[in-house]
Amino acid sequence: MNIAVILAGGKGLRMKSAETPKQFIDVYGKPIVIHTIEKFDNHPMIDSILVACIPEWIEDLRGMLKKFDIKKVKWIVEGGETRQESVFNAVTKLQSVLGNDDIVLVHDAVRPLITSKIIDDNIEGAINHGAVDTVIPATDTIIRTVDSCTISSVPARNELYLGQTPQSFKYSILKNAHMYSEELKIRDASDDCQLVLQNKQDVYLIAGDKLNFKITTVEDLLLLKAILKLSS
Amino acid sequence: MIIKSFKIAAPKRFEVYMENLEVKPNELLVKIEKATICKADIRYYLGDRNRKILDLKYPMSLLHETVGTVLKNNSNKQIQVGEKVVLIPILVPNPSQGEGVPYWNASLGENYHPHAKFASSNCDGFSKEMVCIPDNNVQKTSKQLAEKEAVFMELISVALASIRRIGPLFGQKVAVWGDGVLGYILCCVLKKMNVQKVICVGKHREKLDKFPADANYYIKDPKLKEEDIDTAFECVGGHGSQSAIDQIIDTVSVGAAIVLTGVSEQPINVNTRRILEKGLSIFGSTRSTYEDFKVAAELLEDDIFKDQIAKLVLGHVDIHNINDFYDAFELEIANKELGKYILNFRL
Repeated sequence: MNIAVILAGGKGLRMKSAETPKQFIDVYGKPIVIHTIEKFDNHPMIDSILVACIPEWIEDLRGMLKKFDIKKVKWIVEGGETRQESVFNAVTKLQSVLGNDDIVLVHDAVRPLITSKIIDDNIEGAINHGAVDTVIPATDTIIRTVDSCTISSVPARNELYLGQTPQSFKYSILKNAHMYSEELKIRDASDDCQLVLQNKQDVYLIAGDKLNFKITTVEDLLLLKAILKLSS
Repeated sequence: MIIKSFKIAAPKRFEVYMENLEVKPNELLVKIEKATICKADIRYYLGDRNRKILDLKYPMSLLHETVGTVLKNNSNKQIQVGEKVVLIPILVPNPSQGEGVPYWNASLGENYHPHAKFASSNCDGFSKEMVCIPDNNVQKTSKQLAEKEAVFMELISVALASIRRIGPLFGQKVAVWGDGVLGYILCCVLKKMNVQKVICVGKHREKLDKFPADANYYIKDPKLKEEDIDTAFECVGGHGSQSAIDQIIDTVSVGAAIVLTGVSEQPINVNTRRILEKGLSIFGSTRSTYEDFKVAAELLEDDIFKDQIAKLVLGHVDIHNINDFYDAFELEIANKELGKYILNFRL
């Protein structure tokens, strides 16, 4: 079984939209989260979808799923204070449903430009390797600074990639990583691959796509709208 | 839902588009999986058409010989999600009525409907991750055929349409001019019919030898004139059209019928004196109908026919990104063999 976990628990503080979290902002007649969910809903290899949602938006989300005829969302769980907590809630919810080798794809609700190929490759990669991360090569030089004023170092660019989502795992690997992190009291990991690595499990790379970018700022939103506008 | 597509934006320039798809009532959502490149696609890619016409067409998604999987059915038609289908590129507002058209001879088929559109010619083709398409515009096929042979169904339907254009050929001697893919497919289709003899004419012996014809002739073979040809199909097109049509007019029997299927961008000269002297009839044929696709699907159920079509597959090319798409076009342009490469869409 292949399950998509869509993370829609973020409050969108960087978007500065006072009332509407970024994942619920309407883009050409549809909230961003629905654009994203549709991609998994229509993917033949995805069996079901779980959404981790901001608690106060769960009812709105239910209405949206009905309005846009989304069929595969079986569970909505409350998002946590952190990304890690949201995934933990999802992992806990799925405990009675999934076996160790079932595949879980964890994806940001605010990456609506995900392609079928990325989903295909994540599923195949997770089946073969147990844990995979979607990445793209870093094309800009990455600068490291510890004081936000001066360069501390310039890492070799050919060793650097930018992490995207989905991050996909066999269920047992994801669950064990979260349990282990609980033991270690790690609570604010920015992604699940860090937790899996912490648990001494290799994570393989899957080629992402530059267009599978995350809508985090108003500039990102502008970019998304411009891309869709140009294509209409 | 937002999907990725490739469009030709200028000669030899593809661009990536992200399109917002909405599946409307009576439409299907289909994931594109296999495709082959047609000569018309190559003309748009190379910009081998009048500049003013190209300006009207660009940007446009190419490809119309495609196979996919149904992901969503928003109609009442009995088409299952997961079913393999060949996409039918002719788009007609209402094929049975000829909506809003003063006069239209419906017996010719909906491919001659004045309001008909054709994917990758005057509207977007299928070089996309997924498409929304009217439920009439698919022909079901099996999973096995979808891997290879089904992608040639559009060309088989075109061959059938050209035969349908002149009616039954029972007991006739029929000749096909042109040793390309359409000529080969037409030859295979004619062999399934009750014609007396199928003769193929071309200029590449190594290709002609692969045709399942009763007789093959090199274009300059003087013995060709000794055959009393009742009906001839021109499947040459392009720059070779004129000389092929000249030779056909010169060779066929008095009172014979000639069907033209090849597209020539430039106007060509035709020897009307000889047409009059021999009392010849000339028909034009282009594209095909929904019914032609149905018959093509039935033909592919025949193992011998299916195996003949499978010989046209030169190889498979995976399309992961726009660079692969460029490479596939360049590969097909350089291809001088009898057959095509199948594009495996993985977008």
